[in-house]
Amino acid sequence: MTMAQASHARAVPMHDPFRIGGFSLVAGKFSFLLPFVVLVAIWWTIKIAFDLDDRVLVAPPDVLGALWTLFSRGILADYAATSLYAIAVAIIFSACVGVPLGFAVGANKYVARSLDLFLRFFQGVSGISWLPLAIIWFGFSDTTILVIVVYTLVVPVIFNTMVGVRAIPREYALSLQTLGASRLRVVRDVYLPGALPSILVGLRLGMGYGWRALIAAEMLVRQGGLGDLIFGARTFGQIDRIIGGMIVIGVLYIIVDRLIVQPIESLTFERWGVLRK
Amino acid sequence: MTAIAHKPARKPVRGRDIVWMILPAIPFVLLLAGWTIYWAIVRPNMGTLPPVWTVAQTLWQITASGELLGHIIASLGRLVAGVSVGIVTGVLLGFLVGLNKRAAEFVYPLVIFFSAISGIVWLPLVIGWLGLGPALFIFLIWNTVFFLVFQNTVLGVQLVSEVLELGVRTLGGSRLHTILNVTAFGAMPYIMSGIRSGLGFGWRALIAAELVGASSGLGQMIFHAAEFHRADIILAGCVVIGLLSLLMDRLILVPLERRTIERWGLVTPGAKGA
Amino acid sequence: MTPTVQGDKIVVENFQHIFDSADGPIEATGRVDLTIPAGQFVTLVGPSGCGKTTLLKAIAGFIDPTHGRILCDGAPVTGPGRDRGVVFQELAILPWRTVRRNIAHGLEIARAPRQEIDATVKRLIELTGLVGFEDRYPHELSGGMKQRVAVARTWAADPDVILMDEPFAAVDAMTRLTLQEELASLSYQTKKTVFFITHSVDEAVFLADRVLVMSRRPGTIKASIEVPRRTPGGRDWESFTTDTDMQAIVEKVLRLVREEKTAHKKDSAPVALEAAG
Ligand SMILES: Nc1ncnc2c1ncn2[C@@H]1O[C@H](COP(=O)(O)OP(=O)(O)OP(=O)(O)O)[C@@H](O)[C@H]1O
Ligand SMILES: [Mg+2]
Repeated sequence: MTMAQASHARAVPMHDPFRIGGFSLVAGKFSFLLPFVVLVAIWWTIKIAFDLDDRVLVAPPDVLGALWTLFSRGILADYAATSLYAIAVAIIFSACVGVPLGFAVGANKYVARSLDLFLRFFQGVSGISWLPLAIIWFGFSDTTILVIVVYTLVVPVIFNTMVGVRAIPREYALSLQTLGASRLRVVRDVYLPGALPSILVGLRLGMGYGWRALIAAEMLVRQGGLGDLIFGARTFGQIDRIIGGMIVIGVLYIIVDRLIVQPIESLTFERWGVLRK
Repeated sequence: MTAIAHKPARKPVRGRDIVWMILPAIPFVLLLAGWTIYWAIVRPNMGTLPPVWTVAQTLWQITASGELLGHIIASLGRLVAGVSVGIVTGVLLGFLVGLNKRAAEFVYPLVIFFSAISGIVWLPLVIGWLGLGPALFIFLIWNTVFFLVFQNTVLGVQLVSEVLELGVRTLGGSRLHTILNVTAFGAMPYIMSGIRSGLGFGWRALIAAELVGASSGLGQMIFHAAEFHRADIILAGCVVIGLLSLLMDRLILVPLERRTIERWGLVTPGAKGA
Repeated sequence: MTPTVQGDKIVVENFQHIFDSADGPIEATGRVDLTIPAGQFVTLVGPSGCGKTTLLKAIAGFIDPTHGRILCDGAPVTGPGRDRGVVFQELAILPWRTVRRNIAHGLEIARAPRQEIDATVKRLIELTGLVGFEDRYPHELSGGMKQRVAVARTWAADPDVILMDEPFAAVDAMTRLTLQEELASLSYQTKKTVFFITHSVDEAVFLADRVLVMSRRPGTIKASIEVPRRTPGGRDWESFTTDTDMQAIVEKVLRLVREEKTAHKKDSAPVALEAAG
């Protein structure tokens, strides 16, 4: 509680540091770009100062050029769509299957106890470890990739849902039952909101694992996707394409994470207070 | 609380305790049983799905021959090196940035971007720079662990209750003394959860990187096995990977948290994912 | 019969503090002038939010006043220091130090010899009734016990001035009576200058050599009432409650505080407007 108070007190700056100077990048909406400008300047300086070969490091404009080529020929859209499709399927599947499963597991303490270690174990065997087996079973195909990503995502979602449900004090449900609430209503009013922060942590963590597993799997399976794009470019020493691909991978991840998952997460955290503390 | 739900007056039943103890084994037993039944009915190719006992036998063989140990040492060595560098740099820089508001505002966008591409994404670029040697693996693990530890350290440092720091300042503590005796301890739960998820991500990144290119290590062992359709080795390898990850958590992180965070009555926050 | 005055310990000159918040400036206090002679026990009462804590924080050196200045022993206050100990409204003892090590902290910082630390800590642990809890961590203590650790910690560091912000607010009523009596005799014996904020008029009069009453926000000091000390040394509640002179002072202070409360109610609309503007 004191922690939250302190953070609030500090959230109100004594005087806005951005207002000093008046440089638009510092003061405006796009102030977040400034660090990147600095970074690109350093990168370019290194490239020029050490006179690096294009097979080691390319200049920033070359990356823009490569991105434009990939984009204008529709290659980028194609590869990105493949990756996004896989991660979207995995997220939807995990949310639809993992959450109810997590609830079922978490609702009963015997089931929870029996599955705790099991889930922890499989969370430890990362999805990518199953790739060789998946390749044997499904070949170098999209199915292989999908299986790996779904596995990677669904395990943390089930696990965190279970943990979230288990962490809700029984009194909450009991007191609602004394008011005559039905089982369904208790789930809707107590368990779902109570476990939501934990579910979202699971989804976010799962997405972090899943996105990386996806890129790694694509590098090995070589059936399209952004991982294939950057790993394929390596074969021809196209550093510009690799860096361009990395930027796309990062930006896409940030878009999904910051624009979709985080707003929901912070909304629930703010609305219901920090349940974790 | 759970005691209220189960009539507390009654004497504990021994049988129930035993059931409680063996509960975690049940899903594993069911999985093995299902696998065996499936195998007995379908009789799949050995290279596709071997029976449980073949996997057990293989596991024994590679253990006895010392092959497994070699791979484990290779993988763990890389992990320890990468994670150590990641923790040290993450904590140090995390403190520097966490204690300086302006620095935090400046690096924050960079951190968001680079943590989004941390780990395996760097592989194609860095192979060209570092080759396939140990430096590559250490870099990839460092790159994964660093951002998680860094972000959590910054958060932890910023969230340490100001009143605790002020209290020590009024006792005459210097800024350095306060940082070492208050901020460092207060940030500990966050740092620990950063390390914890860092280990998880780092271990995954390592296995993935070893799959793509390495001459030893668990990832290489299972990928190599795939070329010869040795599903038994792959399965044995997966078991080892899972066990090692469980053991690292149980033997290192959990006791460490017990001795510190729990002892002080602090609460571990939810890890801030990349 | 106040202890011998050796000049002015704390001088607050033309002080005012205004917080910059996201919704514009907040006048936390009005103009305050205040002089505390060395060895005096000053208590401060006033409506919630009138700026008591703000004034205390300025004397402690945690905030840089917007207007005016604060002197301690004739020198301007520039930051927190060993000469001014603070017991906070919130709990400020460190969760990761045992009771003993929390109390010893100030002496450890000052690099006092082991024996001295042990002796001081032992004495304070006995005085505050914490015997048997020396090696417990704060989370294993009750709220009142934690606050006693906080008082003992400040006392052990042996500052000239002690600033206390509602230190006994969270302590149970019985313990509070004992702590107040102990504080009264402790401060008298050690001749410390004490600045003590409270919401309890009884407590304020019981402890003080002088009671200050603050007006509602933005608070100024609207009254200063001297409390004569009858018994040399400490005070006790039995004689305090039967002493008609003392009770007259209590009533007087109570009236002054009440005026502020009712005035606050009547004028609540303009106050709110002012806060918004
Ligand atoms: N850090 C801050 N930022 C902005 N406003 C603040 C801050 N601290 C205090 N204030 C405002 O200043 C005013 C005075 O606060 P202060 O804490 O000094 O009151 P107080 O007299 O100690 O109240 P209480 O008796 O409830 O403790 C309040 O209106 C409060 O909202
Ligand atoms: Mg206050």
